[in-house]
Amino acid sequence: MTTALPRGAPPGAGTSLGRLRERLASLDIPLTQTPPRLAWFFWLAVLGIGTFAMYSVQARIDQAHVVLLYLLIVLGASASGGRALGLTLAVVAFILIDYLFQPPYNEFAIGKPLDWLVLLAFLTTAIVATQLLARARAEAIEARARAIEVTSLSRLASETLNAGRAEDALVRMLEVIQSTLGVSGCVIWPWSPDRGVGECITRDGIEPKRRAPNPLVQRVAERGEPLTLSVDDGLGAEHSAPGARELFLPLGVQSRVVGVLALSDEQPIVFDPPKQRFLAALTYYAALGIDRARLVREAEHAAALREADRLKDNLLASVSHDLRTPLTTIKALAQTAALRGDTAAAAIEEQADRLTRLVADLLDLSRMKGDAFRVTPDINTAEDLIGAAQRQAQGLLGDGKMIRTVVDLESPALVGRFDFTHSLRILGNLLENALRYTPAAGSVELGVRRDGDALVFTVADNGPGIPAAESERIFQPFYRHADTAPDVGRAGLGLSIARRLAEIQQGSLTYEPRPGGGSVFVLTLPAVDIEED
Amino acid sequence: MDKAASILIIEDEPQIRVAVRDALREVADRIGEAATGAEGLHAAASERPELVVLDLGLPDSAGVDVCRELRRLLTSPIIVLSARHSEDEKVLLLNAGADDYVTKPFSVLELAARARAQLRRARSSAAAPSPVTLHGLTIEPATRRVDRDGRQIHLTPIEWQILHTLVTAGGRTLTHQQIFDAVWSRQFGSPQQYLRVHITNLRRKIESDPASPRIVITEPGVGYRADVVR
Repeated sequence: MTTALPRGAPPGAGTSLGRLRERLASLDIPLTQTPPRLAWFFWLAVLGIGTFAMYSVQARIDQAHVVLLYLLIVLGASASGGRALGLTLAVVAFILIDYLFQPPYNEFAIGKPLDWLVLLAFLTTAIVATQLLARARAEAIEARARAIEVTSLSRLASETLNAGRAEDALVRMLEVIQSTLGVSGCVIWPWSPDRGVGECITRDGIEPKRRAPNPLVQRVAERGEPLTLSVDDGLGAEHSAPGARELFLPLGVQSRVVGVLALSDEQPIVFDPPKQRFLAALTYYAALGIDRARLVREAEHAAALREADRLKDNLLASVSHDLRTPLTTIKALAQTAALRGDTAAAAIEEQADRLTRLVADLLDLSRMKGDAFRVTPDINTAEDLIGAAQRQAQGLLGDGKMIRTVVDLESPALVGRFDFTHSLRILGNLLENALRYTPAAGSVELGVRRDGDALVFTVADNGPGIPAAESERIFQPFYRHADTAPDVGRAGLGLSIARRLAEIQQGSLTYEPRPGGGSVFVLTLPAVDIEED
Repeated sequence: MDKAASILIIEDEPQIRVAVRDALREVADRIGEAATGAEGLHAAASERPELVVLDLGLPDSAGVDVCRELRRLLTSPIIVLSARHSEDEKVLLLNAGADDYVTKPFSVLELAARARAQLRRARSSAAAPSPVTLHGLTIEPATRRVDRDGRQIHLTPIEWQILHTLVTAGGRTLTHQQIFDAVWSRQFGSPQQYLRVHITNLRRKIESDPASPRIVITEPGVGYRADVVR
């Protein structure tokens, strides 16, 4: 399929059809106008009658009178019949003057040199006057056409901006396009790279059920080039511009294609340059209209998202309250009963604790999905964080396991800008994992150092380590080590949340194998330099 | 230790009230109960309890407002029960005058221990300032002298102010804001944002292992406390 119109040249309005020509006469610029036959007959008759009248009184009139009358006839003819008629009459009159009104009479010879001057002056004046008249006329028509274009366009512009709904603006625009171009069918298919072809917009509004000639619309939109079809060819057939019965034009805003304008007619659609220019402006407004519809939709979508977010926040708050309140009762009563010696009550308490952890995981998951982790970075010291992490992990020590801290206490304290609670949660999670995998009587090393712009925290164990193939997967939600029984531990969110918490503070969390066996988790957080007072 | 004369529980869930009452039976002779904030404030004004346990999820009023109102009425310690795990909320409550907070679901044993600690602190803080010994560190408020194992430790004025403020609070968690207010007396422009740096430097001087502090304890996201009574 060839493109109907050269790329970059605006597609135009067509008039090879009589019907179109009539409807669009006001826009036609008749530079090669053929005058009606009537005008020719009329002015030739005038010329004949004038010549006969003057010839009958030839003896009593001056040559100047003859020339002036012929000039009047030529001017009248070119004004009403156009340039061709004017020029034809000028030449005929020239011959008649020479033959009938200059001595020697009734032959094509010039008697006096002065007669030459008269003849040439007549011819020049007649031709120049005819040309000037034709040009003035063409310019007047052109100006009228421009004025109509401008009126249509400004009407379109105000439709685009003022219509209550953006779709209404497009419907109005289609009415203008169709009535101006005189085509029988005219629809718009909105299009976007990610959503594809949207719901068809016709003069009657949106027609969701109308099926797009999808491959064609898609193709025009993707390539950003017009496409013409002739009915005879069938869909997908190649066809050049003349004789097209369906025309697909891409609608672009700032080099983005936002839709396709589809024109159809029973007759071939061909546009001349002024119509192409006009259509280019029309399609630009249509593109703006589609874009406006898109922006309105996006604004509505954003508002809906905000509302959904608010609802989710409320839901999170009430879930955490509504689930924890009964859990509190269960745990408290079970604990009291267990203290009185009820062994089953201890199991109830344990399960209540497990349920509590699951609730916490669920809340974390919904926060993580919804970007609901709030971060409040503050000036904090690395030592403070390490101390708090170590203190928090004391409850996890057992089997002779211990935590060893590696902190340089001689140099000035290491300072960073990070969220203390989030960072503590990361280190707490890393320590919990490390203590779980380190063998009995083993030690976990918790250290910090400054490296460039970062504080580098390391949590190292001498457990089994993590296979290289798994070293990134462990940071994905719901990752569980293949050997882990399904009911052990938690939902497998720990490391994914930890990494997320590190990243929202402009930090990072990575894994590396420990030389000699075991794992090292490396947490970096932004360091700052402060002046001590 | 003597039992407290009376404790007030403000909690709308009857089952939790029962559980809390059971947990605190050993701590107090008389335990009053209220199901709403208004009822609780009324009971607090008339009964003058020695300790209040306040639940935040009350049907009639915001927990923080009840807490502030209670603090106006009483000097007794207030322990807050909260279902939300939010440091911001803890800070808000401590600034509103709460002495301690426990997040749901809590252990009744821990609640009882906290209640005892708060009662003990409330009674001892009435006594005149006297030397305090914490994990081998002796603090003499009258002479501003700090010793470890007989050797004097030199603190900067700000470090002394921080330590003194925390020790005087008797193990109560102070929010960052409360420590700022006490140490810098609301002098804006002073390097308040470096509180954590001052704490770190203070620990290097007074703690036997500064990377594993035992005297000045961090309450993550909330503030600091001295390990005075527990």
